[in-house]
Amino acid sequence: MNFVDFVFFFYVFAGLYMLSLMILICFRNRKKMFNHPKGKPEPVSIILPCYNEGKTIGKAIESLLSLDYPKNMLEIIIVDDKSTDNSVEIIRSYLKKNKNIKLIINKRNSGKAAEPTNIGIRAAKYDLVALSDSDSFPEKDALSKMVGFLQDDKKVAGVTCAVLVKKPKKFIEQLQALEYIVITFTRKLLDFIDSIYCAPGPFALYRKKILFEVGLFDTKNLTQDIEIVWKLMANGYKVRMALSAKVYAASPKSFKQWWKQRVRWGVGGTQTLWKYRKLAFKKNMLGMFVIPFFSASLFMGVISLSLFIYLFFRRFFLMYLATKYSVAANTALLTLQELSFSPSILNFFGITLFILGTFYTLFILISMREWKSKYVNFHSLAFYLTIYLALYPIILIHALGRVIKKNHSW
Amino acid sequence: MIKNQKNVFWQALILTGIVFVIGLVLGSVLESNRLDEINDYYAQSEVSLMDILALNNLIDLEDTSCDILVDANFQFADKIYEEALLLEKYGDSEKMDDNFKFIHKKYDLLRTFLWINSIKSKERCDGDFSTVIYLYEYDSKDLTKKATQIVWSRILSDLKQEKGNEILLIPIAINSDVTSLNYLIEDFEISKFPVVIVNEEHIISELSSVEDIAKYLD
Repeated sequence: MNFVDFVFFFYVFAGLYMLSLMILICFRNRKKMFNHPKGKPEPVSIILPCYNEGKTIGKAIESLLSLDYPKNMLEIIIVDDKSTDNSVEIIRSYLKKNKNIKLIINKRNSGKAAEPTNIGIRAAKYDLVALSDSDSFPEKDALSKMVGFLQDDKKVAGVTCAVLVKKPKKFIEQLQALEYIVITFTRKLLDFIDSIYCAPGPFALYRKKILFEVGLFDTKNLTQDIEIVWKLMANGYKVRMALSAKVYAASPKSFKQWWKQRVRWGVGGTQTLWKYRKLAFKKNMLGMFVIPFFSASLFMGVISLSLFIYLFFRRFFLMYLATKYSVAANTALLTLQELSFSPSILNFFGITLFILGTFYTLFILISMREWKSKYVNFHSLAFYLTIYLALYPIILIHALGRVIKKNHSW
Repeated sequence: MIKNQKNVFWQALILTGIVFVIGLVLGSVLESNRLDEINDYYAQSEVSLMDILALNNLIDLEDTSCDILVDANFQFADKIYEEALLLEKYGDSEKMDDNFKFIHKKYDLLRTFLWINSIKSKERCDGDFSTVIYLYEYDSKDLTKKATQIVWSRILSDLKQEKGNEILLIPIAINSDVTSLNYLIEDFEISKFPVVIVNEEHIISELSSVEDIAKYLD
């Protein structure tokens, strides 16, 4: 067995392990997946950072105003990060009609979401703070389904919900819609082992007192929604998830935007990993599972891509040479006999892993009742499971390059 | 929460271990079946070779027709050429063991035997056929050499298709550490591979077209 074979066997084992882990957690908790503790309504301050979101901010405010939650227990604080479009005008039109909406304009454009979020948290009246995005639209019952988690356990500092893509039309949006469902479901499974590693920006609920205790959001981090969860975990707190609470978020509409967003996630994830590296194999699930899992994913992604590039170019160079020589010798290079292929055990393992991964994805789509959605079709599924996911190691390398160059711009 | 779920990590590890071991066992069975198939072919080839050796002795003793011996040589060469292709295919997909390397060595020994026997047959029978011996490096890591060998294989396969029973094509891997083969290589003063030897007279080390090689045939 050579090095490449050994690496492949290791990948198969790691892939099978993660799949087995998720399947077992799902099997054990199948009846509790969509449950949420019944909580009492408690006053909530909703923070909405905004930067040049003129197209969506109005709808975002309206979706918050229509939340199925006692109106006298809601405060909406919009923090504008020095928008240059008509965002502030639109927000002001809502201020006149609603006394529970506040507008704060940041003195400067911070360029990241963390600073306006922290400003909003500092200005919040209530102990529960919900964070939302200016292009996200929570379902009416989302907040009421999330509150109970914070009241149920004092160690729970944050609650996340199911983040889904709003009306995916373009193919790239449909792929993200599929991905968001898989991520959402998997995140709920991680909840059962206290290993939620991110509370996505579109909608999350926190205890303000605990956020102050841990030092609020890291303004230098590009994925403040990952960093805050790790910080909370490092301080002994937990983040839970309400799978039945849904928020619809806008997703990148072009490949270029999508790539930029994923690289930013990669940079932020790497920043976070570096910041908390010393906690590996120490302290609760952050050190025992989340950090090793993140590190292994990063390492394996880099190794797999490097190996792929090496093997691809080696094969390419071999075929180039063989073609060149065959032309010189005036002979055909490829015959039907040479196309015959004898599969090895590695091929069988690879196919098994792919089939299991496909079943896992299909199972999630069925469980989330998204099976009959328009965007779930053979093309989107096939593209997602083959090409889309295979792009991640490349994104990771791009992100690592930016981290090394210390390019931490949004 | 985690207290109730802690053992899920071990359970997942055990489940993965079981699936992985089942996969390895199935893989091992698959490779073992392929090895058995090749071993069966080899056993038959060994019998064929013994038959040819017996024929050689008969020719020494009696006034037997050389045609039978030459035909037997050709049939044997064709048989082990087909088996070599299968061996190559299975050998490439072998991941669990190195058994195919050993069987490759046995086949190389068999082919060396055939080469020696063809030299003798030609001397005794004055046969109107040519021998084309292709000496190559098995599992070469050098890309240039590998590419050259791919093209050589194709050229020789085309040559065999064109000439049929006029040539006896014997491909032999030189890195199987077969003493008799090493002796022959030394005798022909060959140091660079891959190389093609036509009728024990012409040594061609540069890639040539089918037509160019055909010029050296009897």
